[in-house]
Amino acid sequence: MELGQSIDLASLGSQLLVGLSRAMILFIVCAGLSFVLGVLRVPNVAHGSLYMIGAFSAYSVFALFGTSSTGFWLSLILAPFVVALVSLIAERALFCHLYQREHLMLLLFTFALMLIFGDLVKIIWGAEYRSVLAPSILRGSISIFGSSLPRYNLFLLIVGPLVAIGLWFFTSKTKIGKISRAAAVDREMVGVIGINVSWVFAGAFVLGCFLAGFGGALVAPTVSISLGMDHDIIIEAFLIVTIGGLGNIWGALVGSLIFGLTHSFGVLLWPQFAIVFPYAAVVIVLLLRPRGLLKSVW
Amino acid sequence: MKRGTIIIIVVLIAIAAAFVYYFTRPPKIVRPIKVGIIDCYSGPPAVFGKDALNGFKLALAEINKEGVLGAKIEFTTRDTKFKVDIGLSMAKELVMRENVDVLVGTISSGVALAVSDYVRREKVPFIVWISKSERITGQKGHRYVFSTGENTALAGKAGGVALAQKPYVKYWIAGDDYSYGHDIAHAAWRNLAKLKPGVKKMGESWWKVGEPDLIPYLTAIQAAKPDAVIFATGGRSMANVLKAAKTTGMAGKIPIWIHTATDHAVLKPLGPEAPEGVMGTMDYHFYYPDTPANKAFVKAFQDAYGEPPGFPAFHAYMTGHFIAEAFKKAGALDKEKFVDALEGLKIDAPVGEVEMRACDHQAVLPIFLGVTKKVPQYNFAISSDIVTLSGKDVMPTCEEIKKARGK
Amino acid sequence: MFRGTIDLKSLWPTGAIFIVLLILPPILPRFYTYIIAVIFVTSLLAMSLNLVLGHGMIFQFHHGVFYGVGAYTVALILTKTSLPMWIGFIAGPIAAAMAGLLIGWFCVRLTRLYFGMLQISLGSLIWAIVFRWYSFTGGDDGIHGIPMPPPLSSLNNAYYFILIILIICLVVLYLILKSPFGSTLEAIRDNPQRCEAVGVNVRRHQLMAIVIATFFAGIAGVLFVVLEGSVFPDLLFWVLSLEVCIMCLLGGWFTFAGPMVGASIMVALRTFVGIYTEYWTLVLGVILILLIFFLPEGVMGYFLEKVKPQAEEGAERRSELDVAS
Repeated sequence: MELGQSIDLASLGSQLLVGLSRAMILFIVCAGLSFVLGVLRVPNVAHGSLYMIGAFSAYSVFALFGTSSTGFWLSLILAPFVVALVSLIAERALFCHLYQREHLMLLLFTFALMLIFGDLVKIIWGAEYRSVLAPSILRGSISIFGSSLPRYNLFLLIVGPLVAIGLWFFTSKTKIGKISRAAAVDREMVGVIGINVSWVFAGAFVLGCFLAGFGGALVAPTVSISLGMDHDIIIEAFLIVTIGGLGNIWGALVGSLIFGLTHSFGVLLWPQFAIVFPYAAVVIVLLLRPRGLLKSVW
Repeated sequence: MKRGTIIIIVVLIAIAAAFVYYFTRPPKIVRPIKVGIIDCYSGPPAVFGKDALNGFKLALAEINKEGVLGAKIEFTTRDTKFKVDIGLSMAKELVMRENVDVLVGTISSGVALAVSDYVRREKVPFIVWISKSERITGQKGHRYVFSTGENTALAGKAGGVALAQKPYVKYWIAGDDYSYGHDIAHAAWRNLAKLKPGVKKMGESWWKVGEPDLIPYLTAIQAAKPDAVIFATGGRSMANVLKAAKTTGMAGKIPIWIHTATDHAVLKPLGPEAPEGVMGTMDYHFYYPDTPANKAFVKAFQDAYGEPPGFPAFHAYMTGHFIAEAFKKAGALDKEKFVDALEGLKIDAPVGEVEMRACDHQAVLPIFLGVTKKVPQYNFAISSDIVTLSGKDVMPTCEEIKKARGK
Repeated sequence: MFRGTIDLKSLWPTGAIFIVLLILPPILPRFYTYIIAVIFVTSLLAMSLNLVLGHGMIFQFHHGVFYGVGAYTVALILTKTSLPMWIGFIAGPIAAAMAGLLIGWFCVRLTRLYFGMLQISLGSLIWAIVFRWYSFTGGDDGIHGIPMPPPLSSLNNAYYFILIILIICLVVLYLILKSPFGSTLEAIRDNPQRCEAVGVNVRRHQLMAIVIATFFAGIAGVLFVVLEGSVFPDLLFWVLSLEVCIMCLLGGWFTFAGPMVGASIMVALRTFVGIYTEYWTLVLGVILILLIFFLPEGVMGYFLEKVKPQAEEGAERRSELDVAS
């Protein structure tokens, strides 16, 4: 087994940027998962399904607007709201009655949701592969560090930090964000001071799912949108959230960076077994810091 | 608690009684031919499973107009979810409970191999129509298993033959990290190296099946500057590869060969985004060969299902006709006679005459080598400059099969 | 139901079920014999998980790995070596228990969800090795046509073999739970801090429980090979592990027999709903949600509560657990 080609600075640079851009999508999805984990204490197995619904909705919006670049921009905006709506319905109709239950029962519930969403997507969108076309400004690649980098990945490198800043603003500057942070730490206390905890939970759940949908819409132009996307991301997302610290959205950022970068550099080092690197990184982190890198809210 | 257990016992006895009653009813006198389909109708492979089902339905609609041996062919489907345990238990259900005469189906090679081992013990014929592992009719072949689809040995050899005619020397191999990917890459490389001893393998990259982000792999391959790349991928990963090849600009710079790159199910959703100039091999196109037989099949399929048939539909359509013809030739509803009749049987398929080779139970299919290209009459890319490789030339010989099975 | 001392009165219904199961195979069509045997194997797997999940509150999220290790060990011994069959049958559970010891040793340092996630990542590595190692494990194709000696090759004989092993395992599991070890395990579940305070080595106890549970999972893996004659990497995939967890929750994870009920329901649903519709996961999901809403303690838990209301203190325990977290 020979190792990859000799590593030069140019390829290192391009792998760095490519890895960072992948980390941005992972971050957006995992921040949502972590947020739900932190506030509701629920490992939402259906998070991957919502990501898949986000991608399919993005396709529908894109197709509705005649596969134009307006369609793409609108899909980025509308698809997350479709997902938020779906999650709001699921939360208010079913989930909100279960918060007093043991966590594993909630896990079971989200597993049931995953099963249902998986088949619903098949019923609504069918089994065919779908594709979203990025607008011409984001197509193709540019030369950077002497090797080519897809423009869409640069776009992701801009969007990711924006989402991070938005989340920071929301959780530390707005009242509702502060309440949800407080609810994550001590839900009884929040209830005691007269805040309707149930609606805080609903808000947190919907926001988390909104991020999943946004991640799905963002990833849509780079992959073929198909059934099974939910399974692809969910385990990775859980691992990222775990190494970052359960419920800590900045942990999700750190975890995503570790995951994305170990993967893209692993490709350079040992292309046959690149997939081993992120998982090995997860195992190492958990052995050294069993409760994750950043402070968990649990 | 006492009452509870009594309830359990009563329920158990009632269920047992119901089963006994249900299965001791007198059987029907005249019965149709029953075909059991196990295939994947969920997850990413569902697009192929559904297409195959439509092709099979179309064949049955034609066959049942006059019937076979005075009976109609019926079918029933089971969803394997691409999981071996579920596929196996569904196959057992079809054989033991539904008493099917023939089993067909499967996309997953794992399911195909597991079911193949089961039907060998049960002596029920099983026709594989999509799974591409060469071991199904090669190393692990036996009397009761057949394949109407092209397999990795066939496709890999076609790729090797095609690439040997090109001037490229330095190759990079990349693909989905599962047995289909490894098999096809191995078969292509084996044949290429045999035909053109000077070729050199620079390296290999393997990603997990369904990997959404292939950009890091492709940028790393590009940095290594190979003369050509062999991608061993399929299904939705194929679309991801083509997209990534387009966005990284690899498609224009480095020649690429991928088996099934010219598959319509992949190129259609990509639409104008599909990269041009990618070499692909395929055993069926609805637009090629441009013969009356193929046109008639495509028209009938399009009328029935509103879209042109893909390669799974073509395989399944052939399978339906193979089943009908074999029963006609056998002259009886008997599994052993059916197997005997199917060996060496030739039918008229949309791509011309197709033979079920007697020595390994593998259908002899032509392979079409082409290059992706956008044409004005479609809003998706198609395969162009097609060269047909005859099935006999790219299949392993009967001696090679014997040797593989001898081990 | 299984809390008191064993008296003969409470044994007769169990015995009656056993006799019914003994006389079934000659009467039933073959397929139903097969499905009941599948339920036996799955039940044993779920029961083994529940030893740590329900009775120990250890979030063993990737239990399928040990099932798969047991199955692969026996499959490899039977196909690649000429060792006698019984060595394979013994090696399967032992290999599973060793894997359990190894993974458990890393995991017991963590609690609850962290435990579960570390186990999923370590288990996924084992899955990836099995999935990739073509020359040894057959890769994703798996190993098929595993030769079974004549006494086990017919379906009815396999059924009886599995039934007898299952009964033995259930008795042993029951005795383990009734032993001081089992009581300590439940005490740790209900209040880990207090146990630590009175000098119980919580981690060692939990690790021991994991090893025992994985040993039984290995036995289930061996039985799977006896029944199906095939092994494949899906046995070690996380989806299967999650399904087994759900069997425990569905059947009632604070009861002894609950996981068996859950396993029966899941296998039956999967098999018989699948006959009528390809959307059987949708049906399964809806049924799960209905059960969560109307039978919060699982089927068996509900049943016990109905029949013997004073026996179950599940609600009380739940709230204790929330505090403990």
